[in-house]
Amino acid sequence: MPFTAHDLRYKAEETYPALYAHLTRHAQRFLQSLKYDAVELDLVVGHVVEQLVRIGLLGCGDKTPLTALDHFSNAQFYAFLNHSIRNKAIDRLRKRRLQVSSTAELEALEGAEGEDDLLNESVESLWGPPFATPEETTLALASQQELRNLLAHCIKELSAAPRQLQAVILELEEFDADDLLHEVIEELKETDSSPAIETSIPHASQHKDHAHKKLRHCLQESSTNLVVMIALRLTKYGVRSTSSDEFFVHIQALAQKDLSEGDVRRGLNELVAEGYLNWIGNEVVQITSAQMKHLKRFYKEE
Amino acid sequence: MNNYKQFDSSSEHRSEHVKLARWLRYMLSTSPSSTEDATSQSGPLLNTDYHPRFYQQLPDFIMALLQDDPLATVHYAPLLYHLAGCTTCHSAYLELYEAMRYAVKNGDAQPVVNQGTRPLATIPVGTLVSLCQLLINQAEAVLRQGRHDDTDSDALARSLLQLAMRVSTQITQSSMRSRALKDLVRVATIFDGPHSPGEQEPPARSYSPLIGAGSTPRHGKVLRRADTALRSAGKAAEPPAIFLQSHPLEGSITQHEDTLELHLHDLDETLRGHYLTISIPLGSLLEPVRWIGGNPRAIRSAVPVDKDGTLRTPVGQTDLRLDKPDDRSMLEVLFLQLEVRPID
Repeated sequence: MPFTAHDLRYKAEETYPALYAHLTRHAQRFLQSLKYDAVELDLVVGHVVEQLVRIGLLGCGDKTPLTALDHFSNAQFYAFLNHSIRNKAIDRLRKRRLQVSSTAELEALEGAEGEDDLLNESVESLWGPPFATPEETTLALASQQELRNLLAHCIKELSAAPRQLQAVILELEEFDADDLLHEVIEELKETDSSPAIETSIPHASQHKDHAHKKLRHCLQESSTNLVVMIALRLTKYGVRSTSSDEFFVHIQALAQKDLSEGDVRRGLNELVAEGYLNWIGNEVVQITSAQMKHLKRFYKEE
Repeated sequence: MNNYKQFDSSSEHRSEHVKLARWLRYMLSTSPSSTEDATSQSGPLLNTDYHPRFYQQLPDFIMALLQDDPLATVHYAPLLYHLAGCTTCHSAYLELYEAMRYAVKNGDAQPVVNQGTRPLATIPVGTLVSLCQLLINQAEAVLRQGRHDDTDSDALARSLLQLAMRVSTQITQSSMRSRALKDLVRVATIFDGPHSPGEQEPPARSYSPLIGAGSTPRHGKVLRRADTALRSAGKAAEPPAIFLQSHPLEGSITQHEDTLELHLHDLDETLRGHYLTISIPLGSLLEPVRWIGGNPRAIRSAVPVDKDGTLRTPVGQTDLRLDKPDDRSMLEVLFLQLEVRPID
């Protein structure tokens, strides 16, 4: 029986020799003129093994959550391994300044792996992966309202440290990023936490560094994202009562298909802590019109 | 596929977005960016910029992109913010995306070859050394990430270290095994506080095994070549033992039925007449030994050090056998470090 992703996860010791043999065989094929170079061979095989460990697959048993790789068919998993080895081998060949980019050699590589016509792949590669560069990634982050909501939320969190908030506002002005700046300032005015805008502040770079650090931390926290997602869903699924000036939404409507009830409750509790809601744990969340206005001003949908 | 590029061109506010993106790029990548946050409390991560928490989300994020999940970017927003500022994780994302895209598209046509089964010992020793180091480094990275995130990563780290220990028992050359395990004790104890009051003090002596030494040492003489193959252990006429060294002192672990016994010689005069606390830092990582007193970090010697500086005391019971090569290798790893302290 060939080894599987499941074997690598749960029976690493027994399966590793077969994985090593498989990767080595493919690395030798793709390394072409370097295939007898033991250092290059180790480097290519070691790289793929390292990926499998870092992803939390090889030898991790049930200590890491299953990922999409665990759900691949066996053939897909082998294709994944083979392509990983191939790409690293090509990378090494390029680094060794070997000319592998000629059509003939690449065709030989493709043919060896039994892939489709090279032309198909090269046409696709023009599209490239999404978020191919950090610049493309930041443009996506700046362009999508839901992702900007997260940024605005984290900037607003800086209001506990007014100098740091001030430093970020000045910096946004420097970068001419007016839209987001206005969103944030308007919101802060509403909550009476707007700092008096000054043209300069003492020790600005120090405050800026601290603010950047806090922003990075906030933006990369899944709990922050949960709060923003729940806030957005409150504005989207809140239904105005016919008899009063209030809005109501059931927890299940907030959970949709992708969040658990526990996640929703955690998000709601955070929003209560931040002063957006008065929810006390009921199945139906009650929102006053002032609270809804507050939420809508800050958490927008595209 | 790749609908996510729509952000570039379809927005009416592109110039505003570009300005904000410039600031984001600056803010997310200024200073050592994402690493500094992760390292501020706990020292550098593996290779200084590897982030297990984000790295391990990559396959699911990529699959969501490949399946055109419209909520992919919203669900994985923190990861996306991380990728914008971390070149290591971003490079891994690109590599994994390319391989997963190929697998999803062409995978079912891929022939699956049976490589057969073979033992770990058939793998080149250098590769086993690299695997052990990789597993130990990974354990360190997850421990540091756990400490930083205030999450419990002990079980995963422990399981990785146990795997490294088991793999290392297949390495029969002492110098290679030492290289494979050089960070094991440090990582296994990286966030440990003292396990007994005495551990706050530096040890009076710290011993490590002479891996591959299979015969009785002659005091003050070279035992055997360090690279002696372990497989020859046990061929000597005398009972098998693990020999310990704390330059220039020597000691050994012997076995009488199930009991492992520690022998130390020529201990300092200051220790003579005192009971000792024996600490075996890796003792709790695997459970083949039932340690005296239950805590391998605080084993009390059964007797005091005698007037000649000799101590002979049991440390635990085990079903492992020193005369079996595989069992012996495991015990050698467990005794990679042994410390003694006087009990006042």
